[in-house]
Amino acid sequence: MALIMGMDIGSGTSKGVIVRNRKPIAYHLLPSGVDYRAVAQKLREELLAKAGLSIADIADTIATGHGAGNVAFSRHRVSDILCCARGITSIFPSVRTIIDVQRISTQVIRLNATGHVINFTINEKCATGSGCFLDIISHVLQIDLKDAGPLSLGSGNPVTFTTGCAVFGESEAISRVSEGASKEDILAGVHRALANKISTLVDRVGLEMDCAMSGGGGLNIGLVESVEKKLGFKLLVSEQPQFINAIGAAIMAENGVEMGGSLPEPGSTIIT
Amino acid sequence: MSEEKKKKAMNRLKTMYPLRANIDQAYERSVEATKAGKPTAWSMVNWWEADPILKAMDIEIVYPENYGAVCAAIGSAQKYLDRSDAEGFPTHMCGYARNCIGYTAEMTELGHIPSDAPMGGMSNPILLLSSGALCDARIKWFQSLGRYLDAPVWTVELPHPGVEESQMPGVREKSIQFMVKELRELVAFLERLTGRKMDWAKLEEITDDLIEINRIWYEINEFRKVRPCPMHSRDFWSCMNASLYPAGDPKVSLKLYRDMYDEVKDRVANKIGAVENEKYRMVFGELPPWHALKIFDELAERGWNFVVESWAYHAPKPIDYAKISDPLERVATQTYQWLTGYFPDALKEKEYMGYFAYPYLEWARTYQCDGALFHPLLTCRTATNHLILAQDRLLNKLHVPSLIAEGDIVDLKLFDYADTMRKAVVLEEMMDHYKKVRQEEGFEW
Repeated sequence: MALIMGMDIGSGTSKGVIVRNRKPIAYHLLPSGVDYRAVAQKLREELLAKAGLSIADIADTIATGHGAGNVAFSRHRVSDILCCARGITSIFPSVRTIIDVQRISTQVIRLNATGHVINFTINEKCATGSGCFLDIISHVLQIDLKDAGPLSLGSGNPVTFTTGCAVFGESEAISRVSEGASKEDILAGVHRALANKISTLVDRVGLEMDCAMSGGGGLNIGLVESVEKKLGFKLLVSEQPQFINAIGAAIMAENGVEMGGSLPEPGSTIIT
Repeated sequence: MSEEKKKKAMNRLKTMYPLRANIDQAYERSVEATKAGKPTAWSMVNWWEADPILKAMDIEIVYPENYGAVCAAIGSAQKYLDRSDAEGFPTHMCGYARNCIGYTAEMTELGHIPSDAPMGGMSNPILLLSSGALCDARIKWFQSLGRYLDAPVWTVELPHPGVEESQMPGVREKSIQFMVKELRELVAFLERLTGRKMDWAKLEEITDDLIEINRIWYEINEFRKVRPCPMHSRDFWSCMNASLYPAGDPKVSLKLYRDMYDEVKDRVANKIGAVENEKYRMVFGELPPWHALKIFDELAERGWNFVVESWAYHAPKPIDYAKISDPLERVATQTYQWLTGYFPDALKEKEYMGYFAYPYLEWARTYQCDGALFHPLLTCRTATNHLILAQDRLLNKLHVPSLIAEGDIVDLKLFDYADTMRKAVVLEEMMDHYKKVRQEEGFEW
């Protein structure tokens, strides 16, 4: 099987993988910044260099994510929801429910036994339901986002956020800081608020086990534990959950070849 | 994708074009009529309750809601929306209302119809005919126009019984009596306003024509139950206003709907579909994003054929009006039938979710739909509040999955085309899955 590059150009970070026979052989991640076209180009160059490959070694490149339409060297883009399904199924075939926590949205996806999507729901247009809320609060607390999860585990008294709005939530966090609440308690409160939102989405599509978390949210141990506590069971989380959609994009291309069609499998749109 | 291929994906009805033109020309006709000293009214859709009366009194009518759709489809709505916002009206208010208020503010400031107004614009009215049917924003909207226009507002009322209440003894009769009384008051008011007398013979003729228009329009839509469906929702929306408002001359509309009936019947006989390769038969929930209708072409290329749409814009189930001699009672009965016609079926199935949501179930079943695309409108609560309920019922009772694509009828800033397509391709996977589930469970489709 030829090498396929999958690119997930997200609103926060851009992820690239090179896949052969459904297995990633190289990963790379860059901040997306404001120029999706430029970051896609740079991501490709650095990913190829990391893998010791050249452009000629790549049979096709498939793009997904918020900025997929800006990947000038990809002929197709695929829905991130389908990519997430394919990516997770390749790693955890037993999964029937996915919680995909991205920067600008959180989506819960139900799968059937063949790994195809049978239902999905996405949080409303509000940052409190997505990873963006963590970005905002990390900024208020002047910490690095990657430290938010471990720090929150030291909380003894999580702050209760009384709002469902990120703008008010930011104000509330500032108020709690001035009242003397610890960073640990504020972060734990944010995770709990997010877990409550996620739980509502899971209810809406209907839970079937196993359940996995993907996206950048899966890197946050505090969020994962909060969701587990809310839902009452352990989540499956891959080692690099933020790459799931990029892997899925490449797998869709491989599936298309196996089905005897042109790249990728149905469920794609042509970039014109 | 070549232009030639795009045209092939959706096969528009030839008889749609003259019908749409008949509707569109109503605006220019009213402007000319106003210049000739003839009165013009601005009217909301009132489901035939009041328009026949105005037509019988030879008052020209234009429709601000339809005009909002026209402005959005042509790409001219933004400046009117911006003007409404600048006038201090809320941005989350009905898109049709915002478009109309912005247009009116500009017309009033200029002292004449804006030169770039689509379809020739809407001329100064002598009357603002509002309706209490379904929507709260519509009542206050026309009152708000009083800031700009020196024209009285008249609101026609329509009782809104629930599914169970509508079947209680005497509710139907009392509701229709109430409507007839309201209409008599409207006639008296119009006679005072215009100095004209009601032409009762003409009203009877117009009422007969409208009942016949709706009967034919209903039959045309019944043809859409066959495979492949001969008529796409795009054609429905292009033509519905000759029935729904009803815009245009009823005699002309009647002839054009008959022509359409013949064409659709011919397509059924010859198995000609509105989409070349009908793969997915779809319900559309609520009004479309008028500013982004090209999305239906893209979906048609993927085999999506929209075979039926929201109940509210369809003609009522036909009933026998022969025993009703009073034209006002015939009008009232038809409007009441439109509102409550699906209630007996809803009651049989113990579905109390009301007139908006139940027909989706009945139609998804009888039109054998694979999926539904719901377009909740940020600026319209009435059109939106039932859609999640309908979505749940469709999935749980019929195994018909659906997609909610948020947007607005007029304000293109509220609709994300790429995001809708991103979700639409996922719905295809869901529809493929649930088709197998329906087959396993013995459904007919």
